[in-house]
Amino acid sequence: MHLDPFELHRPRSVEEAVRLASELSGQCDYLAGGTDLLPNYKMHLNLRPHLIALEDIPELRGHSFERLGAMERLADLEGDPAFRAAYPGIQDAVGEVATPLVRASGTVGGNLLVETRCFFFNQSFFWRASLGFCLKADGDRCHVVPQKERCYATFSGDLAPSLLVLDADVEVAGPSGRRRLPLSGLYDAAGDGIRRTRLAPGELLVAVHLPPSARGQRAGYKKLRVRPSFDFPELGVAVAGRWDGTRVESLRIAVGGVETYPRRFDALTDPLAGAPLSEEALGRVASEVMRGVRPVHNTFLLPDYRRRVVEVYVRRAVREAREGSAA
Amino acid sequence: MASAPTPPTNPYRLLGGRIPYVEGPLKVTGRAEYTDDIQRPGLLVGRLLRSPWPHARLRSIDVAAARALPGVYAVLTGDRYPIPFGVLPITHDETAIAVDASRYIGDIIAAVAARDEPTAEAALALIRVDAEPLAEHADPRMGTSKVTDPIHAKGLAGTNIQKEVVQHFGDVDAAFARARFTARVRGTFAGVTHAFTEPMATIAEATPDGRLTVWSATQVPHYLHRTLSEVLGIPMHRIRVIKPEVGGGFGGKSDPLPHEIVCAALAIETGRPVKILFDREEVFYTNHGRHPTQNEVRVAADAEGNLLAYDIEALIDGGAWSSFGTVTTYYNGVLAMGPYRVPNFRYKGRRVYTTKPPSGAMRAHGGTNIRYSIEVALDRIAEESGIDPFDLRERNALAPNSTTVNRFEITSTSFLECLSAVRKASDWDRKFRQLPYGRGIGLGCGFYISGSNSPIHFTPKMPQSTVHLKVDMDGGIAVHSMQADIGQGSNTLLAAIVAEVLGVDLERVHVQRVDSDVSPVDLGSYSSRVTFMMGNAARSAAEQLKGELITAAAGLLGTPPEEVMVGHECFETRGPPPASVPFLEVLHRAMEAKGALTASGSYQTRPKGGTFKGAKAGTAPAYSFAAYVAEVSVDVETGEYRVRKVWAGFDCGRPLNRLAVEGQIEGSIHMGLGQVMGESMNYRGSRLFNPSLLEYKIPMPQQMPEVEILLVGKDDPEGPFGAKEAGEGPLIATLPAVGNALYDAVGVRFTDLPITPDKVLRGIDRRVAERRAWKGA
Repeated sequence: MHLDPFELHRPRSVEEAVRLASELSGQCDYLAGGTDLLPNYKMHLNLRPHLIALEDIPELRGHSFERLGAMERLADLEGDPAFRAAYPGIQDAVGEVATPLVRASGTVGGNLLVETRCFFFNQSFFWRASLGFCLKADGDRCHVVPQKERCYATFSGDLAPSLLVLDADVEVAGPSGRRRLPLSGLYDAAGDGIRRTRLAPGELLVAVHLPPSARGQRAGYKKLRVRPSFDFPELGVAVAGRWDGTRVESLRIAVGGVETYPRRFDALTDPLAGAPLSEEALGRVASEVMRGVRPVHNTFLLPDYRRRVVEVYVRRAVREAREGSAA
Repeated sequence: MASAPTPPTNPYRLLGGRIPYVEGPLKVTGRAEYTDDIQRPGLLVGRLLRSPWPHARLRSIDVAAARALPGVYAVLTGDRYPIPFGVLPITHDETAIAVDASRYIGDIIAAVAARDEPTAEAALALIRVDAEPLAEHADPRMGTSKVTDPIHAKGLAGTNIQKEVVQHFGDVDAAFARARFTARVRGTFAGVTHAFTEPMATIAEATPDGRLTVWSATQVPHYLHRTLSEVLGIPMHRIRVIKPEVGGGFGGKSDPLPHEIVCAALAIETGRPVKILFDREEVFYTNHGRHPTQNEVRVAADAEGNLLAYDIEALIDGGAWSSFGTVTTYYNGVLAMGPYRVPNFRYKGRRVYTTKPPSGAMRAHGGTNIRYSIEVALDRIAEESGIDPFDLRERNALAPNSTTVNRFEITSTSFLECLSAVRKASDWDRKFRQLPYGRGIGLGCGFYISGSNSPIHFTPKMPQSTVHLKVDMDGGIAVHSMQADIGQGSNTLLAAIVAEVLGVDLERVHVQRVDSDVSPVDLGSYSSRVTFMMGNAARSAAEQLKGELITAAAGLLGTPPEEVMVGHECFETRGPPPASVPFLEVLHRAMEAKGALTASGSYQTRPKGGTFKGAKAGTAPAYSFAAYVAEVSVDVETGEYRVRKVWAGFDCGRPLNRLAVEGQIEGSIHMGLGQVMGESMNYRGSRLFNPSLLEYKIPMPQQMPEVEILLVGKDDPEGPFGAKEAGEGPLIATLPAVGNALYDAVGVRFTDLPITPDKVLRGIDRRVAERRAWKGA
C-alpha cells in the first residue's frame, strides 16, 4: 500500500494557509499530525492533490491555561505537569488517545477534527470497491443503515468531550477573517458523518480557548475500547463539575464515540445544580444519557453493549469526579 | 517473569542455561537481513490482482491494456501455470493463480511485474475480468449437504465437505450408559490468524544458466522447493531456495504459498529479479490461520471421577482450500487423547470448504479449540461430582510409558508434576470458589506432539532432519541445515548443541543461512519438531566430529582414546599425570591426513501407531504436557476483565535454552489470551471486516498478566539431551484456564470465543435472569 503523490505546501502564517486553501478550493486538505489523514490517504479515502502542512505556523503552537494551539502535540500537553494538574479531565483524555507514538505526532486540532470512522469507510480501496463503496467515499449508499441520505460514521476523537464539559471555545480562521464559537457549536448536530462540523470550506482551526471557569473543576474521562491502548473510542464519557461540600454547583456530561458528533447533556445536568446529588438521581441521569444516544453497528463492539456501558461510565465518571480531589 | 533457577544438577556447560540468541545483536541493531532487505540489480515489483467476489466463474481475463502500459514487464493469468499443488500430497487443490474460478475475496486472479509499485497498480486497474458470480458459501453448516456451485469438484458427493473423519475406539454408548456424571459442552470458536510481524515477502530471479533462485519468508524451505519444482516444471536441482531471517510464522508461512510461485513465474517470464511484498491486508487474506470451529464434547465419568468416554463432534470451516485441513480434521479428534486416560472414544469431524480465506496450521494446530471444550467439560464434571478440578485431573493422568486407546505411545510425562507445581504456586486450595464475586481462578491443561511421526516427505524412510558440520583450519565450525529459524531460536540451539558436544565456545559455531544448494534437508519449522529432530541430528553430527578429534587428541596426549575427555576449548586426560591440549591444536592434527573435517548427522523417528485408517495422525516420538492456572478479575457491570496472573506448569523434558523456552511460553500465553479475549477474523458472510492490526485485536502489553513459569519436566528418553517441544503446547492450556477462571469469577460458562466484554455481560444477565446465585451475588 503506497501513498499517491501529492503537492505539499508549507505556509508560514494562518493567513497564508487560509489563502492557499481558498485558491485550492476543494482540492486540498490541511495536514496536522497526519496520524489519521495519511493512513486514510493510503486507503485512497477522499484523496486531494494538495496538502497544506500546518507545522511551520508558529501561531498554531503552544499551550497555556487559557489557550491550546491547534497544532500543539498531544504529547506536549502530557508532558506539562502544571497543565495536567489544572485540567485533569483533559489529561485523562489525552492519555487515552492511541499510543505514545501517535501522541508524539497527533495534535489538539487534529483530534478535535478527526475523521469520523466506520467499518465500511476505514477500509482499503480494494475492500471498498469489492462492496461497491459508500456514501462517505466514492459511493452513494450507506451500508450501516441502508439508505442513500445520511452517513452514520462515528465521531472518534477523545479530546472533544473533555473540552466540551469545560465550555471551551474554538478560534477559527477563514477567507472572511476570524471568528470564535463555542466548541459545542463546532459540531453540526444537523449534519452527519460527512458534514460533521460547521466549519466553512477552507476554514482552519487556530486554537482552543478555555474560560477561567474551566480551571479547578473536578473532571475525568472514561473510554471504552477493546484494548487499553491503540484503539479508537467505542464510547467516551467526560464529566466536569464543582461541588460545595455535597452540593452540586455545576455539572456537565459529554459523550463521544457513539454517534456522528460528540455532545453535552446540559438539559439533564443543569437541574442538578444547587442540591446534593443522590445515587438515585445520578442513576436517573445516567439512564437518560444512555437512552439519549443511538450508536449503530459500525465499530467493533455491538451498539446495544456500548449503550449499556454509557450508563455505567456516566455513573462512575461522575462519582469519581465528585470524590476526586479538586484541582 | 519469574522462573525456577537452573537446577544445580545440570550436567551441561551450555545447555540447560540461558543462551541469548546468536543472531540477537544483528536483529536488535537492524542489521539482520530479511527478504525485503535484499537488493538485486534491476529488481521489478510484482503485484497481484485479487478477486473482489466471494465466488465467481472466470469467463475471460483481458490483459492487453495492462501489458501495453509502459513499465510493465509481464502480466500472468492462471492458465500459464495451472498445475495444482498443496502442502499435503493428497489434497492438491490450489493453483498459483485462479484458473477457472475465484473462491474468496482476495483470491489471486492475475499478476503483474512492473518497474515500480504505482505502475504495477495502474496495470492491475487495466485488467478486465469477465466473471459470473457463483453461489457464496459462508456457513460451513450449509456446506455439509448438497449445494449449488460447490467450491471444489472434489468435495464429498456434491457437498462442500473437504474431509470427514469418523473414529470409534471401545464402546462409547455403553460407557455413557454406566456413567455417574456426564457433561456436554458446545463450543464456538472464531477464526484467528497468526499476525506475525513480517508480512509475506518473496524475491525470485531466473538466471541465464538455467537456474532459478528464490528468497522467501518461509517456515519450510523444503516444501517450497518441492512445490516450485512441481508447478513450474523445473527439476529441484535447478532451483535454489534461500531463507533469509524470518519475522515470525506461527504456522502461517508453512504452506507453500501461491505468491511464492507467482513471484518465481514472473521472474522466469521477465528474466529480471522480481519482488512481491505483501501489505497487511494481503496477509489477512492469505490467512491459513486457526479454523473457525464449532464443536460438541460429551464426557462421561464414573462415581469416583474416572473418565469413561469422550464423544466428540467438530465442524471445521476450512475456507477455500485444503491446506493442512486433512490433518486438522484428524487432530481435532486425536489431540483429545491426552493428557488423560480415555478408554472409550468416538469422534466425527468434518472440514468444510467455504468461500473465505483458507484456514490452515496455526501454533498448537488442531489441539486448541477441542481442548477448550474438553477442559470446560471436565470443570463441569468436577463441579457436579464435588471433586476438586486438580484431583479429577490427577486421577485420570496418563502414566509414563503408557499407550492411549488409539495407540499413541506416551513415553515421558511429568503431567502430575505440572499439576502439583501450579496448584501449590497459585495457592489454589485457598482460592478456588473462595475469591469474592468477580474474582476467579481456573485450571486448564493440555498436551502436544513433539514433532510428527508421519511427516510430509518423499518416502517415510528418509530422515526428517539432517545436519552437516564443517571445520577448517580457522577452527570455526560451519553448520548447515534446512531447519528454519523463524525467531524461535533454533539457530541458537543448533550452535549450542554443537558447542556443547565439542566443548567449544559458542562463538566458534556459525550457523549458515538456509540455502538449498548447500543445506541438507530438514523438514522445517512446523509440528513442534525442530528441537527434537534437528537437535538429535546435530548431536549425532557433532558426536562424529568429536570422535575424530578425540582420536587426534589421544595421539597428542599419548593416551588411549577412551581416556580422552572433552574439556572447555581443549581435550583432557585425567592421567596420571593430568594433561590437556587446546582445541585448535587437536583440530590441526586431525586435519593432517584429510583437510577440513566434515560430518553429517541425521534423525528419523521410529515407526509408531496402529494400522487403522488415520492411525498415524498425532503419533509423535514424544509429547509435551501442560497445566496452567489463570486468575482473573471481572468488572461485573461492564463485562470487562483482566487476566491478572498465569501460572504455567510445563513439561518440555529438559529445557535446553531456558531463555528461549520462557520466551515461547510467554509468547504462547499472549497468543492464547488473544484468542480468548478479542482476536477474531470478523466475517459478515464471506467478507472479512477487520483485515488490519487496528481492528484485529491482538492484546496490548498492558493486558499481559504476570506469568510464573514452572518447568518441571524430566529427561525424555529420546529427545536430544532429554528435551521435548516448547513451541506450541504452551499455548493450549491458556484458553481453558481463563475460561474456567471466568466461571469461578461470575458463575457463567463461556463457550463462544473470543469472550468479549459484551458476551460476559450477557452471560451475567442470563445468570441473574435464571435466579442462579453465585458467590452471594
